[in-house]
Amino acid sequence: MKHPVFQNRVRLIVWWLIWLFLAAGQSLLFYFAFGSFSNIGVIDSLLSLLIYSGLALSLWYPFSFFNSSKPSVPVLVGNLVASGAVSVIIWVLVTKLIMQSILPEGNNYQAYYDATFSYRVGTGVFIYGLIILTYYLFISLTNLSEKNAKEARLESLVKETELKMLRSQINPHFLFNSLNSISSLTVTDPEKARTMVVKLSDFMRYALSRKDEQPVSLQSELDNLRLYLEIEKVRFGDKLTTEENIETNCLDFKLPVMLLQPLYENAVKHGVYESTETVRIITEARMIDGFIEIIIKNNYDTVPSLRKGTGTGLLNVTRRLELFYGNKASIKTTKENNIYTVTLYIPAGVS
Amino acid sequence: MEKIKIIIIDDETPARELVKHYLKEVDDIEVIAECADGFSGLKSISTLKPDLVFLDIQMPRLTGIELVEVLTEKPEIIFATAYDQFALRAFELNAVDYIMKPYEKRRFLEAVKKAIDKIRSGAGNNVPANQLLAQKPELPAPVNRIVVRKANSINIIPVDQVRYVEAQDDYVMIYHATGKALKQQTMKYYEENLPKSDFVRIHRTYIVNVAEIKQIEPYGKDNHVAVLNSGDKLPVSRSGYKQLREDLGF
Repeated sequence: MKHPVFQNRVRLIVWWLIWLFLAAGQSLLFYFAFGSFSNIGVIDSLLSLLIYSGLALSLWYPFSFFNSSKPSVPVLVGNLVASGAVSVIIWVLVTKLIMQSILPEGNNYQAYYDATFSYRVGTGVFIYGLIILTYYLFISLTNLSEKNAKEARLESLVKETELKMLRSQINPHFLFNSLNSISSLTVTDPEKARTMVVKLSDFMRYALSRKDEQPVSLQSELDNLRLYLEIEKVRFGDKLTTEENIETNCLDFKLPVMLLQPLYENAVKHGVYESTETVRIITEARMIDGFIEIIIKNNYDTVPSLRKGTGTGLLNVTRRLELFYGNKASIKTTKENNIYTVTLYIPAGVS
Repeated sequence: MEKIKIIIIDDETPARELVKHYLKEVDDIEVIAECADGFSGLKSISTLKPDLVFLDIQMPRLTGIELVEVLTEKPEIIFATAYDQFALRAFELNAVDYIMKPYEKRRFLEAVKKAIDKIRSGAGNNVPANQLLAQKPELPAPVNRIVVRKANSINIIPVDQVRYVEAQDDYVMIYHATGKALKQQTMKYYEENLPKSDFVRIHRTYIVNVAEIKQIEPYGKDNHVAVLNSGDKLPVSRSGYKQLREDLGF
């Protein structure tokens, strides 16, 4: 961990100001202890606190190193007491030594020193306690914010992965079926085969080339869905028809890419695949109070299908809405008079 | 030599077009009908009596499999499907051939030749459908309907209308809301393919829809009978009773 004091200039200034304040405090204390005020007292306080501050700065390294090894409580306390004692002794002795060497001969420093000795030790212990407390506080706060940041990173990573996974769930059968049709058309109608290959590749480019989760306009989503439906129309001819009633102020509405795709796949799978009649897929969109309402409906055959759907497509859309909008968006399905309807309400602005 | 009559049943236009296109090169054959769903396919087979049928599996109303199940007089069948190969291997037993979509021309003509040879030589297709269907691997989702033939009509019974299934030799009798129907199928198939949340095999010869059970009464020393809403009483074996206890939580 980086030294907390050296992380920015403000902290360094604050650090020195605190020591200046401590020096003032100490000289005041020693003034009461010694009984009279002298220049020696001021110099002594400034010098000793300068020394202590250097000592405190260097104490950080063994302290943070020792702390990172997660010691047990007795070991920790023993260590702190020992290093505290050593620090205070060094501080007192070094201060005395330097003071004696810089003061001219015949000074009364020895007397001052003797009178303030016990206060000196007391101040040393007190300051030592302050330092340890500060460092401790710093370490736990740093750990906490690091932990929070890590959790947030992890959470967004999980969300991103899930979204990616959900988006990439294009029905593999669709691709397979399209290739089948293309294969047939290359023999019977090469021109149509070519058109279909172009459409399919446009569709796949749109679906696969987007690496991020940038929202797209309803316009481009609809353009791509049209491609999808046109590809299916090649397979089923007149059995599939489409209709769009989109209010023009909806076209710029931003929504997650490929959000609607599974709903159209469902309409084709449960509508067109299972029906002998013409299936009409109708898309409607309008703005209501800052929400867009998108309705996708199709008629279906009442004869039950051989095997029930698994609900994957609908679940996929529901989950993506949850991830993008929390509980602000909604999806509703109804079955009435052989019409299956999906209604989506999506607020403007992807969260 | 009489022409071989062929029906093409596939719900996709390009697929039917391709079959017709390839068949142009084959002599002495005639495509007599094209159908885009299982129902009309079945009707065409019954009325037109073709010699050979090209049959897709995934189709609306009636799948290729269900269609074969209810056929009484079977023509030669070539399955042409994109279905997975496990299912296909099973069909090999019954159909004269199966071809995986997309297929190559060579492979297609090979299948046609095989079929024509078989028809010309007069060898019938007698392998009953249930034999191959018994080997059909279980598909992920449970079945949602049962197709049965009754007199000359085809009934589609939604599984939630099935009261119980009773084993009868090589057949099963399906008791449903509006009657009963015999079907050539195995108990094992229904045990595996009916929705497990709704159906329990309570006895060697019975699979019951649990929603239809009114009560379970002790019978004899340590046997039980299930009384259905319809008033029917079905024996419950010891393992069936255990299974019921687990599923219904009593």
